[in-house]
Amino acid sequence: MFQVRKDEPKYAFLADPETRAKNAHGKFIELADKASKLHGHSLNINNDSSISDNPNRYKQHGFHFSADNCIACHACESACSEKNDNPGHIAFRSVGYVEGGTYPDYQRLNISMACNHCDDPVCLKGCPTRAYTKFAEYGAVLQDPDICFGCGYCTWVCPYNAPQLDPVKGEVTKCNMCVDRLEVGLKPACVTACLGGALEFGVIDNSPENRDQTKLDIPGFPSSDITHPNIRFEQKRSLPREMSRPDTMPLKYHRDDAKNKHVPVVDEGKTKVKRLWNLRKLLTSHENAHIVFTLCTQTVIGAFMLLMFGPLVGLNSIEAVKADAFLPLMVTMFVVLSIGMFKLNMHLGKPMRFYRGFNNWRLSPVSREIAGVSLFFGGMVGFGFFSLFEHPVAQALAMAAAVGGIIGGVAGFYYMYKLYRIPARPYWDHWQTGSSFVGTALVLGAAVFAIVGGVILDTNALMSILPQMALVALLGLILEAVGLWAHARDLRKNGGEGAASHFIQTTKFGNSYWLRNGLLAVNAALVLVLMLSTAPSIVFASVVFVSLLASAIMGRALFYVLVIPTTMPGAFFWKNQGFEEHARETGLANMPQVGVVPDSH
Amino acid sequence: MLFGRGKKNPIKMVDKKVEKWIYTTCGYCSTGCSIEVGVNAEKKAVASRGVGDADVNRGKLCIKGITEHDIFEASGRGVEPLIRDSMHDDYRPVDWDAALDKAGSEIQRIQEKYGRDSFAIVSTGQMLTEEFYTLGKLTRGVIGTNNYDGNTTLCMASAVSGYKRSFGSDGPPGCYDDFETTECLMAFGSNLPEQHPIIYWRMREAREKRHFPLIVIDPRVTMLAQFADMHLPITPGTDVVLLNALMHVILKEGLEDRDYINQHTNGIEAVEACVKDYDPVSAAKICGIDEDTIRTVARLYAKAGTAMSIWTMGINQSTHGSDGVVGINNLNLMTGNIGKEGGTSLSITGQCNAMGTREWSSCSGLPGYRALENPDHREEVGKFWGVDPEFFPKKRGLTETDIFPAIETGQIKGLWLVATNPMTSMPNTARIRKTLEKLECLIVQDSYVDVETTQYAHVFLPAGVWAEKEGVFTNTERRVNMVRKVTEPYKNSKSDLWIISQMAKRFEQGKKVHFPETSSEVFDEMRALSKGRLVDISGMDHDKLEAARGLQWPCRDDETSNDADGNKVGDPRLYMDGKFQFPDGKAKLIPLPYIENNEVPDEEYPFWLNSGRLVEHFHTRTKTGKVANCNKFSPTAFMEMNPDAAAELGVEHMTYVRVVSKRGDAVVLVQLTQRVPHNMVFIPFHFHDCVNRLTLGLLDPHSRQPAFKQNACRIEAVDQEEAAKLNVELRNY
Repeated sequence: MFQVRKDEPKYAFLADPETRAKNAHGKFIELADKASKLHGHSLNINNDSSISDNPNRYKQHGFHFSADNCIACHACESACSEKNDNPGHIAFRSVGYVEGGTYPDYQRLNISMACNHCDDPVCLKGCPTRAYTKFAEYGAVLQDPDICFGCGYCTWVCPYNAPQLDPVKGEVTKCNMCVDRLEVGLKPACVTACLGGALEFGVIDNSPENRDQTKLDIPGFPSSDITHPNIRFEQKRSLPREMSRPDTMPLKYHRDDAKNKHVPVVDEGKTKVKRLWNLRKLLTSHENAHIVFTLCTQTVIGAFMLLMFGPLVGLNSIEAVKADAFLPLMVTMFVVLSIGMFKLNMHLGKPMRFYRGFNNWRLSPVSREIAGVSLFFGGMVGFGFFSLFEHPVAQALAMAAAVGGIIGGVAGFYYMYKLYRIPARPYWDHWQTGSSFVGTALVLGAAVFAIVGGVILDTNALMSILPQMALVALLGLILEAVGLWAHARDLRKNGGEGAASHFIQTTKFGNSYWLRNGLLAVNAALVLVLMLSTAPSIVFASVVFVSLLASAIMGRALFYVLVIPTTMPGAFFWKNQGFEEHARETGLANMPQVGVVPDSH
Repeated sequence: MLFGRGKKNPIKMVDKKVEKWIYTTCGYCSTGCSIEVGVNAEKKAVASRGVGDADVNRGKLCIKGITEHDIFEASGRGVEPLIRDSMHDDYRPVDWDAALDKAGSEIQRIQEKYGRDSFAIVSTGQMLTEEFYTLGKLTRGVIGTNNYDGNTTLCMASAVSGYKRSFGSDGPPGCYDDFETTECLMAFGSNLPEQHPIIYWRMREAREKRHFPLIVIDPRVTMLAQFADMHLPITPGTDVVLLNALMHVILKEGLEDRDYINQHTNGIEAVEACVKDYDPVSAAKICGIDEDTIRTVARLYAKAGTAMSIWTMGINQSTHGSDGVVGINNLNLMTGNIGKEGGTSLSITGQCNAMGTREWSSCSGLPGYRALENPDHREEVGKFWGVDPEFFPKKRGLTETDIFPAIETGQIKGLWLVATNPMTSMPNTARIRKTLEKLECLIVQDSYVDVETTQYAHVFLPAGVWAEKEGVFTNTERRVNMVRKVTEPYKNSKSDLWIISQMAKRFEQGKKVHFPETSSEVFDEMRALSKGRLVDISGMDHDKLEAARGLQWPCRDDETSNDADGNKVGDPRLYMDGKFQFPDGKAKLIPLPYIENNEVPDEEYPFWLNSGRLVEHFHTRTKTGKVANCNKFSPTAFMEMNPDAAAELGVEHMTYVRVVSKRGDAVVLVQLTQRVPHNMVFIPFHFHDCVNRLTLGLLDPHSRQPAFKQNACRIEAVDQEEAAKLNVELRNY
């Protein structure tokens, strides 16, 4: 048990004499009644089997933050890091701020944020390894680093940037609500340390002493609709109409009188608008593994589906490849998919724990994606292998494997799309993600047939393959282009982080963005030529392939680099992505006390 | 339903395996928080927490205190004594005897060749009081140089000078408890939330219980200014004008406390005559605060039942620093707000033991607030130490800010720096760099071998830091508190007390004068010397201090300092009886005619250059620059600039610029914010080779404290890649 000191000050103790029945979202605050099986267990904190007699142990707890009072003194953050022994680059709680007005009528609103132990913990649902648990005790959402394999998906889905992926340890850690302190009746370390009278803690929707508001949001705080976070706010002082962020994120918060609150809008004024290439940043991002994995997997699933269903829709040239280049085709697909899966696995913080990826198949799209792609992989290999034998049993097994491959492929593909539909990442949360994936499958899947055909088969066969595959690619390109057009339109229309992503894609990565868009148009023209050509040259086809591949890679790289999560505002240095990048580029990050982990590559 | 695993693993929480919590007092600022450091079975300090029943901090700590256990083994600690013959040679590690022999013989060689005062000693506000006292004894009683001062000249000299001019003695008269009863609080150039977060917490708690008006005078919209009922964005360096105008209104409207003035002060006529010229209309044109606001504030302050003023560097670091303090004292004397619950002048001090050095180091005189100029004091101390009183100089020598110019012009040839870093902290550091090159011998005694002064030193003496030693600190409210030893000094570093007393043995006279070995024996000497003085600590000892979580002085060894249970208590306030330290017992009201002598912005240098503190850093970052959980919040130098001014110059957020003044230049990252006015930039002073390359630092005529905050500069564009490279090169931490 955590030791309560003899001289523990009164403010350190939890004080919730009365609690409400339901929270602001209409959910019961009591999470397990006396009859519940969840009642009366030890949390086994560090193997201590005792059970606390905290009267509110089974009620949802949460933070209360009086934004007017926070002075950004960092006491909460350092008390947290002191208790959890966190190194400089990891913080379970961070203070950022927004500011507005004109000197001397200036106001800075500081925001201290940790995990909100949400009613609907998207981290828990997203985590493929089931490292997360929402406890009936205090409603705490706890994560077990010993289970985590370091994929970082929870850091994508959380709107509050609560889970912290430690690139040094290769695992995620996060705020643990100081449940050891709660068990002995003490408030969490951060709350006890607060010097501004800003941070409080207790049973959710209780308003602390001398506070009367329990608002669901303040400017800079992402919408509480996504996860029903267990944090409430007081913010009474009138704020300037416009509040800007000190970090480099092109977002600010503008007062919407109709909604009676500040809403995020694009901040175009922070830096001079320049259209840049930023190719290095684009192609050396730490999401490279995802670029390779998604492109490879979509290519192979696309090719496999063409192999299975192409002939049914009149793509008879596929039969020719199947008949005369079956083994090379299957080997190519095997190799490409293996590269993709290898890259994905190796990007994990702990690749040896890859097998845990299925653990959360009931809830996590990542688990389902992994399961689907694995089933597809098995089915594809089985189909390829058994198809080599003419024995009826082998043929039957090949058929069964093919069915497995199709089911796995469809499921894997769908959940690969689904896992990017993250409300906290508006740039991805659009049907265009799906149209882009399908487009890629068509374009590169068709390319697989064209290449295998081109290398193995004679010119005559190729002459029938190329136009047909060009037609498939053209469909893919059109789908991609329509999706992109609608995406850009909706990003602008919906504002917020999505619009900020669009702003960056047309400025910081503007040249790359327009090159990719241009390539799409050029590629469409090229495949049209290929399609209509009576005697297409292999050289020309090769050029078209290179151009298609370049466009696909570039498009996918943009997809990853442009996403702006709905996270909290940072400060000028801390949690400022712009400064972190600068520190890595200049070598400041090589000093560990700068709190930025240097690039490992 | 709740989600997650049916069979749960045990929850793992960090257990630092603390075996013992050791009581000590925080070694950063002068708030004086009681802190417990947890040590594990390997005797390593692994945790820090505020002491729950300590009156100052009541269980709380700020970011620096919470991370303080990390400083013991932070990078850059000195591990062994080093010597070299020339600053162009490499250092040689030697044993302590060799290092001290060299230091001792160099001091004596220089003194013999150039005279006693040709060797200077500049100390600090960082050591324990017993160490200050011992260094003072060595300097005044053995080495005998009169060029001896502390770096408190950079922070608190103006407060000291102002207290002496008004009350006849140094010593802040108020305490934190005054927040509980005051009816009006005025804060001059003091940003409590950032500089003294725990004092801010005490103030805020009091103000939440019982709201009282808070008036903040600061050219920048600091965090405190945001919480103020009235924020007065004053023109830099013109506080005295504002104070005179406030007094003008009070006297004109008859709001002063005539009885108090008549009974307890001298000099009202001269002040009345002087402030006649500072009517709000005229004053507004100089200080930038409109006449209505001046009148409102004056009435509010004078009519409040009790009112108090606090201030920090915004007042002290100015050419009118001492006058600013006297002005605040005038205001409080005039309204009867001295020695009263909730009515006081309270300087908020910067260094953990700036007060200790003021009381006991003999820097500006002799121990226990005694003056060299007073023959009785010389006699008394000489006898006590066993030193011929004639050995003492009859007048105070040079201050820190005059010692460096004297090195520059050749009067001083040798320097001993104790726990201070003038290469970062002095104004116009390029000049300091050149000055240090001229020394025949520079001895650097510091906990950190990477402190920039070691570039010029001949002897480096590695000292223990903070709670590697045992002794006392005095805080802002005169509370003496106990620093217990948490761990042994790092590697082969030694406590400053040991270093100083061993140094004494290198001198013939030092062998005759007694230098006690333990800090509690030193404390006993101080107790004896304090008896009957304003700074009476005769009722204290180390154990009582720990038990009481600190005691305020005066705390006498008779029943006048006992509570009902017979436990020792100190006086929470000075001058409750209206008796001051001048011979006639009356305080002085002093006229303060304002002379405009600051470097003000002009066409060529259109911006005010202001500097100040960040909550996550302490002074020259030798400590906090190595603690990741502090440093990460501002790991490199930056400058606040107004976005409208930046737009005119084409300067963008998060880019580098070159700031140029008449002294030099500095490269900083720009943070655009409306916190600063259009014609002002603000640069934190913590970073090496940064803002103090630019500052002029004109000296206050009374305190010799530099005006760090009133300079002019211009902003120039700079190649971004080169600037980034330079920024990395310039700093090792």
